[in-house]
Amino acid sequence: MNTKFTGSKDYVASEELMAAVDIAIALEKPLLIKGEPGTGKTMLAEAISQSMGKDLYIWNIKSTTKAQDGLYVYDTIQRLYDSQFGEEGVDDIAHYIKLGKLGEAFKANKQVILLIDEIDKADLEFPNDLLWELDKMEFYIHETHETVKANERPIVIITSNAEKELPDAFLRRCIFHYITFPDREQMTEIVHAHFENLEENVLKNALDTFYWIRSIKDVRKKPSTSELIDWIRALTISGIDPEHLREQLPFLGVLLKKDEDLEAVKKAKLY
Amino acid sequence: MFLDFFDTLKRKGIDVSMTEWLTLMDALDKGLIESNFTKFYYVSRMILVKSESDYDKFDMAFSEYFKDVKSEDAALKRVLEWLDKGDQMEFDKQNQQMYSFSQTRNSDEVKRLFRERLAEQNSEHNGGNHWIGTAGGSAFGHHGRNLGGIRVGEFGGMQSAFQVMGAHKYQDFRNDRVLNYRQFQVAFRRLRQYSSRLDVPKTELDIDGTIDKTCENGGYLQLEFDRPRKNTVKLLLLFDCGGTMIPFMELCNELFQAVHKANHFKDVQTYYFHNCIYSKVYKTAECEIGEWVDLDYLFRHYDKDYKVIIVGDAQMAPEELLDKNGNYRGPNDGLSGYEWCQLLTQKYKKCVWLNPRYHRELTRMHWMESEDKLAKLFHMYLLSVDGLKDAITYLLKTK
Repeated sequence: MNTKFTGSKDYVASEELMAAVDIAIALEKPLLIKGEPGTGKTMLAEAISQSMGKDLYIWNIKSTTKAQDGLYVYDTIQRLYDSQFGEEGVDDIAHYIKLGKLGEAFKANKQVILLIDEIDKADLEFPNDLLWELDKMEFYIHETHETVKANERPIVIITSNAEKELPDAFLRRCIFHYITFPDREQMTEIVHAHFENLEENVLKNALDTFYWIRSIKDVRKKPSTSELIDWIRALTISGIDPEHLREQLPFLGVLLKKDEDLEAVKKAKLY
Repeated sequence: MFLDFFDTLKRKGIDVSMTEWLTLMDALDKGLIESNFTKFYYVSRMILVKSESDYDKFDMAFSEYFKDVKSEDAALKRVLEWLDKGDQMEFDKQNQQMYSFSQTRNSDEVKRLFRERLAEQNSEHNGGNHWIGTAGGSAFGHHGRNLGGIRVGEFGGMQSAFQVMGAHKYQDFRNDRVLNYRQFQVAFRRLRQYSSRLDVPKTELDIDGTIDKTCENGGYLQLEFDRPRKNTVKLLLLFDCGGTMIPFMELCNELFQAVHKANHFKDVQTYYFHNCIYSKVYKTAECEIGEWVDLDYLFRHYDKDYKVIIVGDAQMAPEELLDKNGNYRGPNDGLSGYEWCQLLTQKYKKCVWLNPRYHRELTRMHWMESEDKLAKLFHMYLLSVDGLKDAITYLLKTK
């Protein structure tokens, strides 16, 4: 088992990012990751779990998610139903307490990794409701008078797309890292991690065109890493001559998802 | 330790708290920095700064405080080493085709310029690296537009602290915020009116219904569900994009962001106008002539339940508001701006006007005539967090 995070076979991490992960682990603070869509925020947690050999618990946040959902849910309705038919175990409330992802991560016997994905999707107050739990790594179940406390502090990774501003009190407790969009050199490495024998020619021309499209001002939704990977896959399967990528722009729909953006690229091509 | 650095950060406008500072001290105690200056830069940044928009400020504070630390030499050596490979550099052929109009530079000349610039930087010392770093249009940029330019600043791995700082890589993220836009968001949360008469599935447990049904059922449980209550507020936003609004662009932008990122409204529609509302409103903030819809179109498509929020400074000459030909940028269609505004208030019962330079407290002056007239027609509030709160209170009143 590794104690240091060094990236993984499929995930290329910058040294800054690796340092951020190490620091967060050493200081026992949640690591907050922000960055453009497609910079691999979510994949980071998977990569850490792989490279350190630890289990990963993913808590996906949606607009309706409440902090309580991550701790535990008391299934009152099930209990009521069961009581009607005299099922066994009705008198034991613990039967009807279902732990959420946070609870599961606390209860694990060994240190695990907990990913709270897209925390900004939830209600504005959501992060504040988790302050105590993330600080102390424990919570109290009122119904059973039980305190769930983490045996080993989980490594907490939180991602945000900056849809909403996060509250200060929450931010102060986190280690923050902003993933910048990968430059060409990093991107080459990332692409190589996904394709074993990619012709240099294809790669070079694809990256040229990719960064050129990203540089066009009128393109609103800039293509990201995952779109580039899909595009290169399409290019290699179809066997298009890479020399003419920039003129022909094949499979542009893989890179750009908006009509306006396709138009903008075609317009830019004319000049 | 480094308490002055803490002060420097505060002075540069980074909101560092004691908690974070102690965390940094903890990191130092635990030896996480490994006595490495560059690492210190990264670690202190990841602990103290919580938004990429503050990275630039942090860089400035950092270079100011640590300006006497020598660490430049390694970086310089690397740049020079790289420079020696300049001969083997291959130009991007496609770029050559695409931008064949761009200026071709003799590579010797580029090298000479580069050395010169390096020398200048040396004399200027710290913080000057950005000359070469990311100077987009210069021959030394790293987006490859300039044929025969030198590409610098893409070293792999962890860069020297000064290099990163000098590059001002995070300048684009900077946004000096007048107001906390979270406060706007919090204010908008209050703009809710609930109704359960909506076309959504019945997913919420109806306690009263369940009790009734269970009793009817002879004590055996029968669950009843109801539709969840949803916010029914629909918003129509009208932004003034006239020249006098330029100083408030940031503020308007924050308001705009706050509304659009609030996901609890049933519907939000945004249109723009120039100075005053006439027969047409624009679809984009650029207010390009032709890119518009009739005010009539709004009346037909958005019913009277829409709550209207107008953002503008109401600064215009009286004739722009009152004259039937007062619109110097488009058609009036037979009515003055004032009359169009009246039509708007007749259609929509709840209209507010948020004004970033509302002069309510001042003695009335002649040039405030238009503002006065509009303030009588609309409920006018200062565009601030408190003003917004008042406006929302008014929008929610039933009478």
